[in-house]
Amino acid sequence: MTQLVDDYLAELEAALRVRGPARRRFLAECREHLLDASALHGPQEAVRRFGDPTEVAHGYDVEVATRRSMRATAGSVVGAAAVAGSTLALVNAADPQADAVLVWAILFFAFAQTSAVCAVLAVLQATAMRHTAAHSADLALLHRRNLATPAFALLTMLAAGGVVPGHASPWLLLPGPVIAVVALAQVMHARHLARAVGGAAGRVVRSPIGDLLTAVGWGGEHGGVSNLEGVRLLLPAVPVAAAAAFAWSMRDHGGPGASAVDAGIEVLLLIAGFVVLGRGLGLRRGAFQGMR
Amino acid sequence: MTSDFLRGHLENLLLAVLVDEPGHGYALLQRISARSGGDLVVPEGSLYPALQRLERAGLVASTWAAEGGRRRRIYRLSSAGRRRVRTAADEWKTFAAAVDRVMGGTEIRGMA
Repeated sequence: MTQLVDDYLAELEAALRVRGPARRRFLAECREHLLDASALHGPQEAVRRFGDPTEVAHGYDVEVATRRSMRATAGSVVGAAAVAGSTLALVNAADPQADAVLVWAILFFAFAQTSAVCAVLAVLQATAMRHTAAHSADLALLHRRNLATPAFALLTMLAAGGVVPGHASPWLLLPGPVIAVVALAQVMHARHLARAVGGAAGRVVRSPIGDLLTAVGWGGEHGGVSNLEGVRLLLPAVPVAAAAAFAWSMRDHGGPGASAVDAGIEVLLLIAGFVVLGRGLGLRRGAFQGMR
Repeated sequence: MTSDFLRGHLENLLLAVLVDEPGHGYALLQRISARSGGDLVVPEGSLYPALQRLERAGLVASTWAAEGGRRRRIYRLSSAGRRRVRTAADEWKTFAAAVDRVMGGTEIRGMA
């Protein structure tokens, strides 16, 4: 291989931020490509046609950062599911005579639902992003959703311990949190690369309805439905959540009065969660925010 | 044709030249060039990120293979990729016909 191609590959390697197998694969493919092109057009023309090494490296880094972020979504959901399993083991091992502490019980349901909502948002976004180009603000949002999913699952397990104290085997309790911590580390790793490549990213609002339509292949023009966000997204969610909480409570023999109280608590939690976390999770806009 | 003009279509072009047989990156580039009579000049450095995007979308799959004593990454179309090519080809025909109806008969006075 000529010195010119060697020098070009060295520049490309220096400009790449991604490490590991993805880096080695890219450099190997570029090397073979430049060998072919040099044989046909000469090394000078081959490297000219390939383009500026900094731009080429950036294009590849962005793609790998997107792919890793999407993979981290899967890890994050698996982590949360593992914690859910450990939480069930904890609840089943609880002392049946112990009285549940109301505050811990409310926190338990609030954290569990937040984790589930974050998981759904992250999965919808990651699935939609398979078919579209990713911007740095989208990746930053996906990382926040990915971080929140196992983090709230861990808080749910903590709250479960407060609701119903008891003793269970560490072999049942520990795997969930361990897997969740590994998932969090994976998300942080993907986030680090995305930040290094994309720089500081602004906050973005991203409608889960739009992501759902894109994910099932109906993306494109759907008027206001695909752009539902903020209060327009919250308003239809309130009666659905209230009805679900009422039905759940009635199924548990709560009676109409107690079930209505449960439904009211559910609505309050939903609104509070929306106010506190809605902006960070890309469901409502703050000042100067864009909409995807 | 300029690189900027081509950029939005690169992924569909790559899928189209994978329909008949799999190939490595440089071979795909040569197929695009040959089929277009040399009119389409692909920005070569953007080829591999584009192929990875197609892999991310599940439209192509790739494996390492030995070819002529060299180790090459060979790309092949998935069944989803095959469906996408058909859709993209139909959309392109509609688009090109519409643009042609608008621009095809245009004459600019005062220009040769």
